[in-house]
Amino acid sequence: MNRLWHSLAAVARRGTLGVSTAVVALALLVGPALASAQEVTLWTHWAAEKIKREFVEDAIRQFEAANPGVRIKASWYEKTALYAALKTALRAGQGPDIFYAEPDQVEYMENGLLLDLSGLNWNNIEPWAREIWSYKGKPYGFPLEAWTVEVYYNQKMLQDIGMTVPASRQFDAAQFLDLTRKAKAKGWTPMSLGVGDRPFPGAHLTHEALLEKLGTDDYGRLLQGKLPWTDPRVADTLRYLRTLIDAGLLPTSFTSMKLGEAHTYFHTNPGALTFLSGSFYTSRAFNPPDKGGQPAGFPLGIMRFPAMTNAACNHCKTMAVGGSYVVNATAKYPREAVSFLNSMATPANGNRWLEAVLVQTGIKTDASKISGPYAGYFRELAAANVGAKYFFGLPSQVLQGKAKEAFTQIFNNAFPAGSISVDDAVRQMAAAYQ
Amino acid sequence: MTRSSDRPPWGAIAVFLLPALVVYTALTAYPVVRTFWNSLHKVLPNRPDEFVGLANYATLLFSDDTFWRSVRNTLVWACASPLFEVGIALLLALALYAKVPGSRFFRIAWFTPVLMSYVVVGILWVWIYNYDWGAVNALLRLLGLDTWTRAWLGKPETALPALIFVTTWMWTGFNMVVLLASLHSLPSEVIEAAELDNCGWGAKLWHVIIPLVKPTLLNLLVLSFIGKMKIFDLVWITTKGGPLWSTETVSTYLYKRAFEWSTFDLGYPSTIAAVWFVIIMTCVLVLTRVLRTRDRLEY
Repeated sequence: MNRLWHSLAAVARRGTLGVSTAVVALALLVGPALASAQEVTLWTHWAAEKIKREFVEDAIRQFEAANPGVRIKASWYEKTALYAALKTALRAGQGPDIFYAEPDQVEYMENGLLLDLSGLNWNNIEPWAREIWSYKGKPYGFPLEAWTVEVYYNQKMLQDIGMTVPASRQFDAAQFLDLTRKAKAKGWTPMSLGVGDRPFPGAHLTHEALLEKLGTDDYGRLLQGKLPWTDPRVADTLRYLRTLIDAGLLPTSFTSMKLGEAHTYFHTNPGALTFLSGSFYTSRAFNPPDKGGQPAGFPLGIMRFPAMTNAACNHCKTMAVGGSYVVNATAKYPREAVSFLNSMATPANGNRWLEAVLVQTGIKTDASKISGPYAGYFRELAAANVGAKYFFGLPSQVLQGKAKEAFTQIFNNAFPAGSISVDDAVRQMAAAYQ
Repeated sequence: MTRSSDRPPWGAIAVFLLPALVVYTALTAYPVVRTFWNSLHKVLPNRPDEFVGLANYATLLFSDDTFWRSVRNTLVWACASPLFEVGIALLLALALYAKVPGSRFFRIAWFTPVLMSYVVVGILWVWIYNYDWGAVNALLRLLGLDTWTRAWLGKPETALPALIFVTTWMWTGFNMVVLLASLHSLPSEVIEAAELDNCGWGAKLWHVIIPLVKPTLLNLLVLSFIGKMKIFDLVWITTKGGPLWSTETVSTYLYKRAFEWSTFDLGYPSTIAAVWFVIIMTCVLVLTRVLRTRDRLEY
């Protein structure tokens, strides 16, 4: 007893040990309570895209309020950094529960890295969006962002060259060539486009033309390598495009111009007659002018891509799914992760996305209910898409490996820049599939 | 009989060597060995590595056009750049050595580019080469040479030379400073003896100065060569290997195959890395052997 007393007295004298013991005891008591808070990790793009970030952060707040004890810990990245971090983390089995992905990243599905999202509330999501994210019959992504390829134009400039968009909103091939020449004669750039920092905008020109000429089925077969690039319809289409390019369709700085610069080039300085862009045009253009947005009162119009001669489907156009969320197959909290995605997949949230982000979404929405200053824009966008037949996915999302690399090098850059002939382009694409 | 004090202190040696050995093994030796091992396998997550033998090597060496295009670009860059950089640097160093007016200013001005990262340099030169408002085309227009203006980084025929110019601009100053230090350390009696023999400036340069700084020149050439064989950042920032693979280097192609080709397989990229490692090692050995000074200079 005496010994025990001495030991306790010694412990009491050592103040530091006393504090340490208290900390350990506290940790033992509180630890389990802390551990019971489920922390779902989310790695996402859009660090610099304020509106999209606010949308997701708002969704997190709502989900956490409705699910006490579950916390969504979001880490915001820019896309390139995110992809590099994910490739390493997923290989090491250290990935987050939920992460940002786009449908072209089939390697995730091929390697069993994603959770089958059949449990998602697909009634609230567009069937085509599910189809884009399906792999071997199972859906793997929650398609938050979607967009179509549109030809935006300056109504005033078009008027100044004495042309009017037809009721169908679509010029034919000859009329569009005429438009290009008239704009050029005025000293204007007929179409703003830049590929300095993106692997896809330059290719819009080729893939929209080929899609119209071939129709969705043959165009899909062409991308899959089942229809040869030597098909005469392909060369015909490219020859027409080459005529436009030789007539001075694109800015001379096309190869170095960045996407953001192409926006400004179109609506502000120096001003171009048209701008071939994804419908995410709004995410930059509808910012205040001092933050890169279009000038107040800018006469924005939307026309269809020009009709190709003897085309299979001049009402065909591309729809792409962009930013999406997927769940890690080895997520610590898969149920909570799916539950969070479900909380976003509601028509109300879809409309909120449209109103806030001004870009389409894979969530079912009702654009007629959109009000506010951009309601007119959505009516214009809807009119440009009436009766459209969509091909889902950009070539960069459909193609893989060498064919994808060749398509990017040739049709995103060299062909629109006039650096490669039609015959060479066809030959190199054909070789890329061998 | 050996006394215990004569024996090497193995314990102490181990203590001093171990940290360096662990770091070297973990961060250099293991990755190299692992890369060679990966090159013989298909390496995918969630499944055991699959042995493919020399299949990756066969594909790379016999049917990968892009790889050979990137090899050609890299070799052109690695052979041209050292000649430009070291050649111009020698001229600049001689100018400073001869104390041209404003030499202090020029020494700082010519050295400054090397202090910048490739990322900054890349962005800067994308602006300088911009077709509409870049300095190069603006200057050409000012001189009435409008027909010479072009998208320097956007045309396959000019993109690689334009980037070689950038690395020359960036690294010449570094080479110049090293050569200047070498010139200042030359024995003055040898140069004075040449002057006493009425040796002209050209002859003095060719027969005295260059032989004396030859080891420095050789080292700079080899360093520049190795640097260009590995070049990645500048290309990635400016052209990403385009247009039409005209600026694709082995490093950018390797990165694309590892991280941008919609595959997790590390086997094929490892094969590229392994082959390129062997090629660089061979080139450096050959260069060193061919260019080394056989006779030791005495003075």
